[in-house]
Amino acid sequence: MIALRYPGAFLGVTFLAVLLLASFVAPVLFDLDPLAQDLAAALDPPNAEHWFGADELGRDILARVIAGARTSLVTAGGAVLIAGAIGVPIGLVAGFFGGWRDAVLMRIVDVLLALPNILFAMALIAVLGRSQGAALVAVGITGIPSFARITRAQVLSLRSRDFVVAVEAMGGSAGYAMFRTVLPNAWSPILVQVVILSSVAILLEAALAFLGVGIPPPAPSWGEMLRTGKSYLYEAPTYAVLPGLVLTLTILSLDTLGRTLARILEDRADHAGDAA
Amino acid sequence: MTGYVLRRLLQLLPVLLLASLGVWAMVFAVPGSPVGALVGENATPEQIRETVARLGLDRPVLEQYWFWLLSALHGDLGLSIQSREPVAMLIAERIPATIQLGLSSTIVGLVFGIPVAIISALSPRGWLDRALSGWSALALGVPTFWLGILLILLFAVTLNWLPSVSAFVPVWLDPWGAVVNTLLPALTLGIYVSGIFARFLRAALLGELKADYVRTARSKGLRERDVIGRHVMRNALLPFVTVVGLMTASFIGGTVVTEAVFTYPGIGRLLIQAIDARDYPLIQGCIMFILVIYVLMNVMVDVLYAYIDPRIDYG
Repeated sequence: MIALRYPGAFLGVTFLAVLLLASFVAPVLFDLDPLAQDLAAALDPPNAEHWFGADELGRDILARVIAGARTSLVTAGGAVLIAGAIGVPIGLVAGFFGGWRDAVLMRIVDVLLALPNILFAMALIAVLGRSQGAALVAVGITGIPSFARITRAQVLSLRSRDFVVAVEAMGGSAGYAMFRTVLPNAWSPILVQVVILSSVAILLEAALAFLGVGIPPPAPSWGEMLRTGKSYLYEAPTYAVLPGLVLTLTILSLDTLGRTLARILEDRADHAGDAA
Repeated sequence: MTGYVLRRLLQLLPVLLLASLGVWAMVFAVPGSPVGALVGENATPEQIRETVARLGLDRPVLEQYWFWLLSALHGDLGLSIQSREPVAMLIAERIPATIQLGLSSTIVGLVFGIPVAIISALSPRGWLDRALSGWSALALGVPTFWLGILLILLFAVTLNWLPSVSAFVPVWLDPWGAVVNTLLPALTLGIYVSGIFARFLRAALLGELKADYVRTARSKGLRERDVIGRHVMRNALLPFVTVVGLMTASFIGGTVVTEAVFTYPGIGRLLIQAIDARDYPLIQGCIMFILVIYVLMNVMVDVLYAYIDPRIDYG
């Protein structure tokens, strides 16, 4: 049973599945309005009516955590998509052709890598203004270098393998060799990177919101909830603790999943080597 | 060696030039005119004229960049829109606070990280090792700002031992006050740092423990404590220096966030306040300053590493 062999990853996947269900299915089934105010309940501790308590405007914190999950997952997903869509082709071209293309592309990637990503994201948001789109783009761009480097390393090791040389010898175009021959064999570390980067993106988005430069209110976001909850630590300690707990569990789940995935794929590659 | 240092510094030029170009170009991407972004909306005509003349905003674009770069190199980063004070001065005021936070977090990181690494390397894959690697995973995975909030809830709200808002008290003026005010932020950032330290040092120790000289030392009957203390640690600590340097990246992000949690008056908070107020000269100054420090730290670590390890060829 795969669940017993990788208990950590199993727990992680279970948590992520519950989170996905809660954020995309629960709002359809239940009445979960993250903006509905009930001022009489403001700053109430967790109770039967408000499981996670209520915030300073009497909005249900659980409903906001669930809506925040949607914001978080959509932003992270979009960011990883941007990072992959730009980073993977850069790594592919750099690794496949080598020479000046490699030198120029990787130098640009190095400069991007030389900047602390939170600083880069803050600078970009200072220019673009606060919006979900800006946060998504800023987080996405900071992920480009890791995709580019991993893809390039993978392509370099595949470049001179017989099946790639054969495609070229038979007159296959460079594009065909790259996208149809090399890329399909390079996907496993890229997949691991997708998982790891999702966790980084969720954390970065939350950090930006916590600093007050992320997705603007009243849109619910985990980081923003922590930021506001911090002002009510004496009156309502659970306000900041519970959204933070969900954020932490999400990040830890993705980390564990990424590490386990890397190990499974490594083992499989080793066995493939044995057979050959 | 001198040649190596010079070459490493030369390699920085393109990175810094490109970064400065980006920072300078920020004001052109902002909605409205760059002059407006640089002097603010309620500037007097004289202030506008002065800024236009000083930054050469009536000249061709490339010349404008040159003007800006030259004055930045002379330490003139312009005036803050909000306070009308020199940006360089505002930044300089915040430097000691950030350095104090950075150093004390490093100490916390070492205090937690080194024992964790040594204990887990001594019994690789044992239950203690597993438990401790769980600690590292938690230290690295738990968001700094949530950890900070938990620590405030425990030590300030519940136990009432430490303040929930940290002022900057220079350690050389009032050591006790400095400890009281810096402890929580340093613990918050330091726990994260200890995760990096522990993970890296454990790997380095395990690598060294496999080396021949360890077997020799053991077979001549040396006590395990001496084998570790005298032989292994010396070699394992070497690559450790680079990690301390690589950490500056996460450090910078970490200090910005930690300063926000504890409303600690460092450079990170200055930058956030600047972004809030759309104070572009101050934003540019803060970002450029942090970048330069960050890049210089990285070079310093490389040089230090080459200096410690004579095997490294810096030809």
